[in-house]
Amino acid sequence: MNDTYDIHMLEPERVMFSRGQGGVFQGVINGKPYEELVVFRAFPFLYTTQYISIRDAKGDELGIIRDIAQLDEESLREIERELQFRYFLPRVTKVGSVKQKSDLWLWELQTNLGPTRMAMRNLHEHMQFPSGNRIILTDINGKRCEIADWQSLDSHSRTQLTDVI
Amino acid sequence: MSILEKLPDKIRAQMSDEPLFSAKTDLRNNGHFGEQWITFTEREILLWETDGLQYFNLKVEDLKEARAVNGVGGGTLLVDTKKGPVVVARYTAALSSVFGFAAKLLTAIAKDEERPMASEKEFPRYCPTCENPLSEGSQVCPICKNNGKVIARMLKYAKPYKLQMIAAGFLLIFTTLVELIPPYLTKVMIDDVLQPKNMGSTLLMVVIGLGATALVMSVMQTVRGLIGVWVGSKLMGDLRKDIYSSLMRLSLAFFDRRQTSQFIGRVNSDSEAMRQFMTDGVIWVSGESLRVIAIFIIMFGLDWKLTLFALLPMPFMVVVSMKLWPKIGRRWYQQWRSIFRLNVLVGDSLQGVRVVKAFGQEATEMSRYAEANREVVRHNIRIEGLWQGMFPLFSFIAGLGTLLIWYFGGQSVLREELQLGTLMALIAYLTMLFGPLQWVSQMINWASNALSAADRVFEIMDTPSEVPDVRDPVPIGVIEGHVRFDKVTYGYEKHHPVIKDINLQVKAGEMIGLVGHSGAGKSTFINMICRFYDTDEGSISIDGVDLRRISQSDLRKQIGVVLQETFLFDGTIAENIAYSKPDATPEDIMRAAKIANAHDFIVRLPDGYDTRVGERGHRLSGGEKQRVSIARAIIHDPRILILDEATASVDTETERQIQEAITRLVKGRTTFAIAHRLSTLRNADRLVVLERGKIVEVGTHEELLAKEGAYHKLVEAQQELSKIKGVEG
Ligand SMILES: Nc1ncnc2c1ncn2[C@@H]1O[C@H](COP(=O)(O)OP(=O)(O)OP(=O)(O)O)[C@@H](O)[C@H]1O
Ligand SMILES: [Mg+2]
Repeated sequence: MNDTYDIHMLEPERVMFSRGQGGVFQGVINGKPYEELVVFRAFPFLYTTQYISIRDAKGDELGIIRDIAQLDEESLREIERELQFRYFLPRVTKVGSVKQKSDLWLWELQTNLGPTRMAMRNLHEHMQFPSGNRIILTDINGKRCEIADWQSLDSHSRTQLTDVI
Repeated sequence: MSILEKLPDKIRAQMSDEPLFSAKTDLRNNGHFGEQWITFTEREILLWETDGLQYFNLKVEDLKEARAVNGVGGGTLLVDTKKGPVVVARYTAALSSVFGFAAKLLTAIAKDEERPMASEKEFPRYCPTCENPLSEGSQVCPICKNNGKVIARMLKYAKPYKLQMIAAGFLLIFTTLVELIPPYLTKVMIDDVLQPKNMGSTLLMVVIGLGATALVMSVMQTVRGLIGVWVGSKLMGDLRKDIYSSLMRLSLAFFDRRQTSQFIGRVNSDSEAMRQFMTDGVIWVSGESLRVIAIFIIMFGLDWKLTLFALLPMPFMVVVSMKLWPKIGRRWYQQWRSIFRLNVLVGDSLQGVRVVKAFGQEATEMSRYAEANREVVRHNIRIEGLWQGMFPLFSFIAGLGTLLIWYFGGQSVLREELQLGTLMALIAYLTMLFGPLQWVSQMINWASNALSAADRVFEIMDTPSEVPDVRDPVPIGVIEGHVRFDKVTYGYEKHHPVIKDINLQVKAGEMIGLVGHSGAGKSTFINMICRFYDTDEGSISIDGVDLRRISQSDLRKQIGVVLQETFLFDGTIAENIAYSKPDATPEDIMRAAKIANAHDFIVRLPDGYDTRVGERGHRLSGGEKQRVSIARAIIHDPRILILDEATASVDTETERQIQEAITRLVKGRTTFAIAHRLSTLRNADRLVVLERGKIVEVGTHEELLAKEGAYHKLVEAQQELSKIKGVEG
């Protein structure tokens, strides 16, 4: 079963995730319990809930989950939370304003994780357009936010964005 | 101790001990934005709400270790307790250095080791006035710095050409004044000659006057134009030189994160935008505003009431310009970004043109280009369209003023309150106002383009080098070659260390072989010796002098490197070999080539040492390129020689020859060699085995084999491989 030269896909029914008392992500994989597990997205931009690499605390891969939607309810909830913790990428729900003050771009944003501000030295290195209408914003300190589809934001946000896209 | 920000009194009041550490998180425990406070003392770790409510506590005696686990864009402070791991706090990437330190301090407390001292680097700094982040190493807050300074800084480049600019200015003033004469002469002509039908000498005088002014004007325009071109080209030259030298001054880390071909276009286009503003822009603005003022003074002198009509549309135009100003700036930037993306794309696919062809992906590249190109076209139309629309609008509005003057002026003429010539002169002056008006919109365009270009240029110039030279470097002269690594830790991205806690003492003249799996950090190790990057922790010294205190040019003079990626410059083979020693004699060049076992193949080339190798040396085979770069590394007789996979692309026989030559050469020189083919390192005095950034074994080949550790495994794996292949390992 464990062919080291092939990708090891985990069977959804043989995987269970939960959260330990200390708030740490843990689980049972193929019958073996782990008190700390780490999740990695193999394609953080393209597939956010698919192809999730599950690794132990040392970073060795235990296997890959093809799609977390196939997991049971509790596992799904916990892995979703863990992904959100590890890939801290708040989703922008509203763009309050984009201002250029001397040589810094200041963004006021509303996200699904609360309001935040971002400061960028320039746009050409801090805005990425991975595909379609998706935008990834990175600020001076490395904080990142995502606009899943800027076309579907409200009109105020779109107006703010027209001159920066 | 390490108190970063002032702990709210409500929290402080509840603590009995003085906190060892306190910090504000920027995420709540559930991963949402928000603030919580973490404090710890020698006895317990506490987490607080900002209003002083205690959220969580943990006794230090339960603690085994603390870790800052960094995810992407944020991280978690985890502690390992006897009952398993526990999440203490979460934070965004902005605070990862603070929590990295917190984890170290906690671990030290738990294990009762010496408490680490916080260094300046660990704490992000914020501007005291506006609370925005300060970039590393800079003291000025970019927000509180205003645009006026950018312009002032830009104008500094014009300073050396003050005299010429002033001369051009005087010529301009003079032309402007001369230009104002013809309409006045027309007035004289109509009122004093044509209407009274007075055929005197006046007509001839007026015509001669008109001719003379035309002549003077064209001569002065030519002279001014020439000065403009001269100053402009010089200025642009200065700018380009400055941009380029600031690029060269930047450290490798800057280029690691960026696509380098982008800078080719930037150096030229940004300096052109700035030049345009400074020469044409500044001269025109001052000239044209002068003209506007002069015209108004004359017009007021002719008939002040009618002139007021001409002024009517002015406020409107000022308001429109102010409104459009930021928009135009942004559109210029957008346009620039689309060109930037196009350039990056072109640079990329042309550099990799061999790969493109090898996989037959020309069509894909073309369609990628077409897409980016469409964007550029779209933005071009947007920005050009905007300002093409602006000028007609402005002239139309200004034209309304003319209409009013025609109407009311015409009435006055009919009532014989005004002379016809005066009216004609007024109209003529008003038309002359359109010139400056056009320049208003043009100027807005230029200025915003130049400002955004200047921003980008100054950003490059202001980026501090990550490996700065100290003010008074220690003169090292010719070094002996002792190299010492002292607890060196480094990561290309902070808090993701690639080499960890490296301790190594290398005697002068020793040959060290570095081995380890791919990605173990071998190249990074030697990058540190060359000081391409500075250590995050610990220090490296050569002959007992810290690398950071040696000037980089002195250091590189003592080091010869063959990098893993061989790169040859566009030029002849001889030029490439003599790169680090431009005064090398042909004999030196041949001697170096001979040692690198390159002499024979070079001489056999039709053009010998004068063969042009073209960009990146594409005309040579992989192994030939490597040999040329070995020659380049040894020609200046370095005291420390670094060979990163220097002979990976040559056959074993050639390698043996190079090795023998190098062995002779390395006598008395400190050498670091990296090789996957372990036989390459058989002459090494000591082998250093790296695994995931840590030194796991050090010793001679025999010692390490006897130890049956990591090195033994590597050797065995390789022997197995060569058995299969049936070649010597
Ligand atoms: N410029 C860089 N920016 C970011 N990460 C880098 C950079 N260069 C190397 N790394 C990372 O650092 C680690 C060590 O790389 P390094 O080049 O030192 O390995 P190596 O031991 O020389 O491997 P190899 O034998 O394949 O040449 C790798 O994981 C690599 O991904
Ligand atoms: Mg390497």
